[in-house]
Amino acid sequence: MAAKITLPVTNPQGYYEMRLESIGGLGANLSGKILGELGALYLGLNSANFASYGSEKRGSPVKSYIRWCAPEQEILINSSIETPHLLGLFHERLAGKIPVMAGVKPDAVVIVNTDQSVDVMRDRLKMHGGTLCCIDALNLAIEAKTRVNMVMLGAIAKASGFIPLDALEEVVKDTVGHKYPAALKSNLEGIHKGYNNITVKRFEPDGKYPYQEYKELERDWGYDNSPIGGINPIYGNTISNDLTASREGYIPIFKKDACIHCGMCDTTCPDMVYQFVKGEFKGKPSMVNLGPDYHHCKGCLRCVEVCPTDALTAALERDHDIWKDHVRNQDLVLEKMEFEEVGPNSWMRSESNIENELKY
Amino acid sequence: MVEQKVVFDSGNELAAYAAKQINYHVMGYYPITPSTQVAEYLDELKAEGLHDITMIPGDGEHGAAGICYGAAAGGGRVFNATSANGLLYALEQLPVQSGTRFPMVLNVACRTVSGPLSIKGDHSDIMYTLNTGWIILFAKDPQRVYDMNICALKIAEKVMLPVIVAYDGFFTSHQKRRTEVFAKDEDVQDFLGTYEHPYHALDKDHPVTIGSYMNEPDLMNNKFQLHLAMEQSRTVISDVFTEYGQLTGRTYNVAEGYRCEDAEAILFALGSTFDTAKVSVDQLRAEGKKVGVITLNALRPWPKEELYELCKNSKAVLVADRQDSYGAGGGNMTLELKATLQDYRSNIEVLSRVYGLSGRDFYKEDGIAMLNEAYEAAQKGKAEVKFNYHGHYKGRESDEPQKYFDPIVGEKANPGITSVALDPNTGKMVVKGGMVKDSTQMPKRWTAGHGACPGCGIPVNVNMLLRGIEGNVVLLFHTGCGMVVTTAYPKTSFRVSYIHNLFQNGAATLSGVVEVFHEKQRRGEIPPGDDFTFIMVSGDGGLDIGMGPAIGAALRNHKMIIMEYDNGGYMNTGYQLSYTTPKGAKSSTSHVGPAQAGKAMFHKDTAQIFAATNIPYVATVAENQPTDFIKKAAKAQKYASEYGLAFIKALSACPLNWNDNPRYERSVIEAGVNSCYHPLYEIEQGITTITYDPETRNKKISVLEWFTMMGRTKHLAKPEYSEIVDGIQVEIDRRWAQLKAKHENPLL
Repeated sequence: MAAKITLPVTNPQGYYEMRLESIGGLGANLSGKILGELGALYLGLNSANFASYGSEKRGSPVKSYIRWCAPEQEILINSSIETPHLLGLFHERLAGKIPVMAGVKPDAVVIVNTDQSVDVMRDRLKMHGGTLCCIDALNLAIEAKTRVNMVMLGAIAKASGFIPLDALEEVVKDTVGHKYPAALKSNLEGIHKGYNNITVKRFEPDGKYPYQEYKELERDWGYDNSPIGGINPIYGNTISNDLTASREGYIPIFKKDACIHCGMCDTTCPDMVYQFVKGEFKGKPSMVNLGPDYHHCKGCLRCVEVCPTDALTAALERDHDIWKDHVRNQDLVLEKMEFEEVGPNSWMRSESNIENELKY
Repeated sequence: MVEQKVVFDSGNELAAYAAKQINYHVMGYYPITPSTQVAEYLDELKAEGLHDITMIPGDGEHGAAGICYGAAAGGGRVFNATSANGLLYALEQLPVQSGTRFPMVLNVACRTVSGPLSIKGDHSDIMYTLNTGWIILFAKDPQRVYDMNICALKIAEKVMLPVIVAYDGFFTSHQKRRTEVFAKDEDVQDFLGTYEHPYHALDKDHPVTIGSYMNEPDLMNNKFQLHLAMEQSRTVISDVFTEYGQLTGRTYNVAEGYRCEDAEAILFALGSTFDTAKVSVDQLRAEGKKVGVITLNALRPWPKEELYELCKNSKAVLVADRQDSYGAGGGNMTLELKATLQDYRSNIEVLSRVYGLSGRDFYKEDGIAMLNEAYEAAQKGKAEVKFNYHGHYKGRESDEPQKYFDPIVGEKANPGITSVALDPNTGKMVVKGGMVKDSTQMPKRWTAGHGACPGCGIPVNVNMLLRGIEGNVVLLFHTGCGMVVTTAYPKTSFRVSYIHNLFQNGAATLSGVVEVFHEKQRRGEIPPGDDFTFIMVSGDGGLDIGMGPAIGAALRNHKMIIMEYDNGGYMNTGYQLSYTTPKGAKSSTSHVGPAQAGKAMFHKDTAQIFAATNIPYVATVAENQPTDFIKKAAKAQKYASEYGLAFIKALSACPLNWNDNPRYERSVIEAGVNSCYHPLYEIEQGITTITYDPETRNKKISVLEWFTMMGRTKHLAKPEYSEIVDGIQVEIDRRWAQLKAKHENPLL
């Protein structure tokens, strides 16, 4: 066991609180578990860890919470962490419409996985004030042949200012290393890269962005105006979901000239992306493919595999301006609509699947 | 004191760890969130060779409870874990277990009871067990889940009553905490000692009849015995807690309070809320308000004296119930506290608040608000509002809801992609059309924006089926990924009417819809021609637990279609094994380790089960053969509109849990077909036709070739599993040969 730690800062109830915000598949739950275990078994603290009871489905938003306090103190609070001392953002896309920055006060440390600079990220996060640390965890993970979460753990340890690197190494050896000894060397390298490569900048609450209060979810529909029985009469309204955040970098690119309108892409697409309308092909009446609706494409690339011509090819999303080729869903009857940026739905998954995260 | 060690585990992990240390004979279980992990961890420990509990995956919670009852009647030490609707599905087994006096331990990770379906935590499930004759312990944190699991078995065996250990779903079941456990399993086993039930079915020298048929006057006496045992358990619980405390330093009472001695106002709440509320108490005490909080560690037997002792000096108690006994003016804890105070002729004012339903967080601010209400009542001697909900809201005034689509009716619903007619010469249906290119005309009844994982096979298969279905459609989904990813409130992906009822009850439900349609149409309440095709969609999980109702619907031959998407596991809850999971596959309840080689049983042949009900049409389909798929869907519609029930089964990809690349799923499905694991055929009016024969096309591959394409079965390529793989191959070849014989002979 490493040396005992005294927490540098705590809230009035005596807790040091961390919140990790991520997208399923990046390993934030496992990071939370490792940090929880680090506190309880290696730093001589009392410790609790739990996750937002959401999904481990690939691509969906995930939150993991860690609460630390002095060893003699009981951990009493069982609710979500509202005002974290440390916030880890595992995916920069989270800076979109999900209120990840809620409850981040000027004394907080925020660590973001991004290849952008701290100044750019501050604006993107609309950060009121606090210490911002950027780490290019994705590229560092690729270099170290490890996963984003290992690099993030190293960065979190460094950014916290008090988590000793050797204790973190110990816990990773005993947990992940025990289960996957072959990957230990690269996992430890990932941690080192995270620890040694953060860029840090402190932003005073200069009024540029207001403080974002932590709020519990409240919808437009309440007991006074929602249809009885939980019945939903607004048929097909998931169409207003934007699933862009589910993609992991890749996207199908559609070349209309090469398309023979065979419809195979439409049979394999789980996300009803391709827009077929009545038209003409080779001078005959035919169903024709106008192209993909990128709001709903999750980037699985099933379509690329079944396309008999080279009308559909896989490409990196960042290399293309997909919105110029985007085709709106042809069945919609309304002129304009607001999209809600979401990942796949929440559903508690077995923690056994945390292991799956390590296999990729 | 005996040696303890520190671990960092969740409530579910600790329940499993206690069970491992006890080394029960049998765990009968059925996975249900949030209790599933108990079986998962226990299975993982079993694969490592760390215990030898026989783990039996039931066909549903009713079956799982039956397995437990049988094992207990055989004199075994027995363990189970469940939640919510699983508990309710098993409910009728509970009074039998207690009434016939077989001890066992059941963990309940408390969760909201449907409907609408919620997977989150509240106490609406556990309160149904109050009248079952079980002792009920309530553990507020992971440490107590562990401790109470060990105490529970000892208590159960001493009074010969079954015991529930309840704890908050997610808040406690999934929260990891620094926890002390016995360092050595032997110390747990020494504490418990050995146990021999005076009567059990496996004593050949002393045959017994278990489960007498008993009316008046005897049942009165049987229940009085149960009452006496429950009363006796009061001292037994206390003794066991004391003895346990001497060994571990962790001592519990059936009721406990925090800063209650001089409190004028008290909050009474169960589970994890108790601890959070202590922080609220401290904060109000700092303001000079004399407040406290109490909780119960046992709900049955009801700790009347201990509870009264804690609150007798107060003027007002606010009961925070995480469920409602609708119409009774409070949840069950309110009602029971009021009954207790009546016994003592107390005039303490009682307020009741229903809070935290479906896992709505309880923050310290909620505790402060409730304590302030109780404090005000204490000051005034009277509560302004006796009963209310806490955390509900009216809703925002907003514009008319958006309309995104027109309904799919008339010409739009009938693009004429397929047409079906009976060939009088062969007695078989002939489908015209069904070309993929044309089928893109069919509007998507399941529309975009749903939350399935990238590459998921479910929407692919459901929409492929629906291309072959002209006209109006009513869909019913069993519980499963397909349902969860489409209908998370306040959104839905369906553009046609859709129903979800209970996990296992879809076929019965749709039977009712079908028959009310026909009756209404007969009475002229629905105009002739306004017809519907009724389609139930189920995963393989829904057809494990729902096999009975599905067979019932098939035997009644309702005019409907049942479609199974078989991804070989309970993917929705984190991939526990289903009866269709391939033998040898790893899942979170069939781990691979030194002592276990994945799933132990062969995959279920659902299509042949339905064939045995002699329904007019059975077919298997695969997405890699879309025209065949669409044509079979059209035939199913024809049979379902004129003859009766049609069953269609698709092998459906699950990239997340098959652990393969979503991009290549269609080839994985194709390989499943070519290995004859999922042969393509149809059975029309009892006559079998193989519609694709990989042998004649030189496409046949070994099942191992298919297995190596998926992470869940890849390990089977290792030499140590060759015997298992050979066995699977023999079974698949046997089933395929049988199918070919049926194809060749219309009488088979």
